[in-house]
Amino acid sequence: MSSDQDHLKETDTEARFEFKKEENSAVRSGKGLTEEVIRMISEDKDEPDWMLERRLRALEQYHNMPMPSDWPGMPDLSELDVEEIIPYIRPDVDKREGVDDWTELPDEIQDTFDKLGIPEAEKNALSGVGAQYESEVVYQNMQEQWEEKGVIFCNMDEAVREHPELVKEHFMTTCVPPSDNKFAALHGAVWSGGSFVYVPEDVTVEMPVQAYFRMNSEGMGQFEHTLIIAEEGSEVHYIEGCSAPKYGTHNLHSGGVEVFVGEDAHVQYSTVQNWSKNTFNLNTKRAICEENGTMEWVSGSMGSKVTMLYPCTILKGRGSTDTHITIALAGEGQDIDTGAKVYHNAPETSSTIESKSISKDGGRTNYRGLVHIADGAENASTAVECDALMFDNESTSDTMPYMEIEESKVDVAHEATVGKIGDEDIFYLQSRGLDDDDAKKMIVAGFIEPITEELPIEYAVELNRLIELEMEGSLG
Amino acid sequence: MSTQVHANLTEEQVREISGDLDEPDWLLETRLEALAALEDLEMPDVIRTPGRDWTNLHELDFESLVDPLNAAEDKDQVGPEEAEVLSWADAVQEHEDLLQDHFGSIVDPQENYLTALSTALFSTGTVIYVPEGVDAEDVTVRTEQNSRSLFNYTLVVTEESSSVTILERQSTGEEAEEQYYSGIVEVAAGENSYVQYGSLQNLSEEAYNFTLKRGVADTYATIDWIEGNLGTQLTKTEVSTELRGDSSETQIVGAFYGHNDQHFDLDAKVWHRAEHTTADLVTRGVTDDVARSVYEGVQDVGSDAWDTSSYQRENTLMLSDESEADASPKLIINNHDTEASHSATVGQIDQEDLFYMTSRGVDPRAARNMLVEGFFVPVLAEIDVDELREDLENLIGTRLRERE
Repeated sequence: MSSDQDHLKETDTEARFEFKKEENSAVRSGKGLTEEVIRMISEDKDEPDWMLERRLRALEQYHNMPMPSDWPGMPDLSELDVEEIIPYIRPDVDKREGVDDWTELPDEIQDTFDKLGIPEAEKNALSGVGAQYESEVVYQNMQEQWEEKGVIFCNMDEAVREHPELVKEHFMTTCVPPSDNKFAALHGAVWSGGSFVYVPEDVTVEMPVQAYFRMNSEGMGQFEHTLIIAEEGSEVHYIEGCSAPKYGTHNLHSGGVEVFVGEDAHVQYSTVQNWSKNTFNLNTKRAICEENGTMEWVSGSMGSKVTMLYPCTILKGRGSTDTHITIALAGEGQDIDTGAKVYHNAPETSSTIESKSISKDGGRTNYRGLVHIADGAENASTAVECDALMFDNESTSDTMPYMEIEESKVDVAHEATVGKIGDEDIFYLQSRGLDDDDAKKMIVAGFIEPITEELPIEYAVELNRLIELEMEGSLG
Repeated sequence: MSTQVHANLTEEQVREISGDLDEPDWLLETRLEALAALEDLEMPDVIRTPGRDWTNLHELDFESLVDPLNAAEDKDQVGPEEAEVLSWADAVQEHEDLLQDHFGSIVDPQENYLTALSTALFSTGTVIYVPEGVDAEDVTVRTEQNSRSLFNYTLVVTEESSSVTILERQSTGEEAEEQYYSGIVEVAAGENSYVQYGSLQNLSEEAYNFTLKRGVADTYATIDWIEGNLGTQLTKTEVSTELRGDSSETQIVGAFYGHNDQHFDLDAKVWHRAEHTTADLVTRGVTDDVARSVYEGVQDVGSDAWDTSSYQRENTLMLSDESEADASPKLIINNHDTEASHSATVGQIDQEDLFYMTSRGVDPRAARNMLVEGFFVPVLAEIDVDELREDLENLIGTRLRERE
């Protein structure tokens, strides 16, 4: 590896993601999951009774559900001890709802987000920004023009107080009920922070809104909840980014995302996940699409020790459309088990799933996906394409698609390929004067290009850079 | 353990079956161990997704289906002189060494509940032995089931540089309300040998069927499977090859046609465990009426399987609105020096094709039948044995013409 790349690595991974701050919390729950902890979280948030009741019900469901164990080839969760996780840490900031001026934040938090480049991105490319530190959103701001049009972008805790009717109706009810899976139940019990986005009828939010989630403390769990409601004919692009410094003990991230895509509405949900490699990332993300609505998931999974994430779209209305674009990169010690789930429950619905995965240095990627076409979903069509690239013989690349087709008037296609980086390709690039590292990076960049071109340019650059950095650790 | 153990299954029955066949003690022991293991064994794996089991084997009432001492069949076992094609009873007498080497070495008798049941109770079977350098064509095994239950076992052993083509057919003679057919096939393909094993299952539509066919290919060996499924109300099968020797190859070709309320659960699996191995899995099928097909294909590339090529295709054509087709083609890749791909499609008859043909004066029914027959062509073209290909074509054609 050349010295200028060393420098890159130093400044980028270390300074931008790996830095740690002293924990400076106002409130910190005990470890584990007891009714006492739940009541304490709810009380600290001064929540209405109905939310506390929902939390307690979810807790009960959590305790009654077994850990998933019978999935073929599922990642090893044996090192995850939920009872050792600290579910709630409220950082010590003056204003609970999040300030709208970065300078009002405590220095260490402001510095954190500066290093992550969030204020800079806000100035250039975003309609609004929310930033969560540990369990609470500390910064929340949106350009005035969107507020005037009735767009709501606030943190989830505030939404519970300010928009109780909308939240009551949509929060973990029809989309992701706590009974969905054990970690959704866990999330329902201890959720904290996250974003609430409401876009009124026929409003197009032209620039993306972004939320950034940062875990700073050792052994904590982050359980933010994101609820997006896009009314008829509206359009919004939501971006989430996440990172944490690496610790010796395990962190847990178990977010919940619910998206309601109204008639003719269009929602894009983009994630650049870069959790530290001691994090278990077990999320539940789901969208429900009404007539002619469009849902797009764009996910880049680079970080975490274990990721189990299968963003799901329920195509409920006639003519609704889903697009999944996922990219996973697993290096040493990482098991990225991700994919997509689509339920075609209405006629004329269509879905496209495009998955690219890269495994290296003993990492494992798995595409696990389910496409269900219900009886009566006439003229539904789905196309699934998975490509995997492997660097070395210690790595694993699996593909496990499931297709359940109950309707005959359909068009279903699934395709997958696995290949290695071709010696010939590398030789060709080397003969053009590139060194081995750069040749491999270029091949990888070309491999994932169909995905990066779907992202806004700032994020495409970010994703490319993250991948380059990941690659450098192993090559040379 | 969720499966019940039959009150009416006893050690005495197993001893009686083994005794009638004049089996040596070690075979009896293997059978008795399998019987004893039933209690702890699970049903074969079936795919489960949230809220659904793709095939429910637990609902089967084996208690009433299994009648071990009254097995009856009509069997032909024919082969050329150069190869030995023996009934199980003859093989026990003449080739005990061979059985000792291979019996249960490829399919573990205690792999699951149904393999153990089959091992404990099988009363008939075929052993095919092809000596070094011999090319044996046209081995045919025909089994007609005439009893409530029938447990069948087949062993194929090919020595170095030999070849054999086997055609196996299962059908039902005397029909009963419910019948159960169980078959285990083990193929040991020696160095540089070639085995083509074609199988056509056309049992009564009241029957239940469990078959597991598995081969191990030595260096330079090739095992080609052809699997046709038309009969039974419920079929659970696995056809699989372990590519254990360098440069070994396998092909698994499947064709199925389910109608009425038939349910086919078909697995095709290949394990690449050596260098320069090649696998090609091709399955095509039709579902009609309220039939349901479940397909699982697995290409598993081990970490020592350098320079692997592995391909898989599955296509299902749905002829009716109420039928259902589920598919899960899986890739498990542990060696990066691999070229692998899989694809699966589900669809119906192309309306444009149909329109084109009717515009040329072909009546819609005939046009549809031609298109369905055409759909099977890529699979049928892979079958070397004319007899099997023609049988399959005829059965498909007949079933199509019976249709409105």
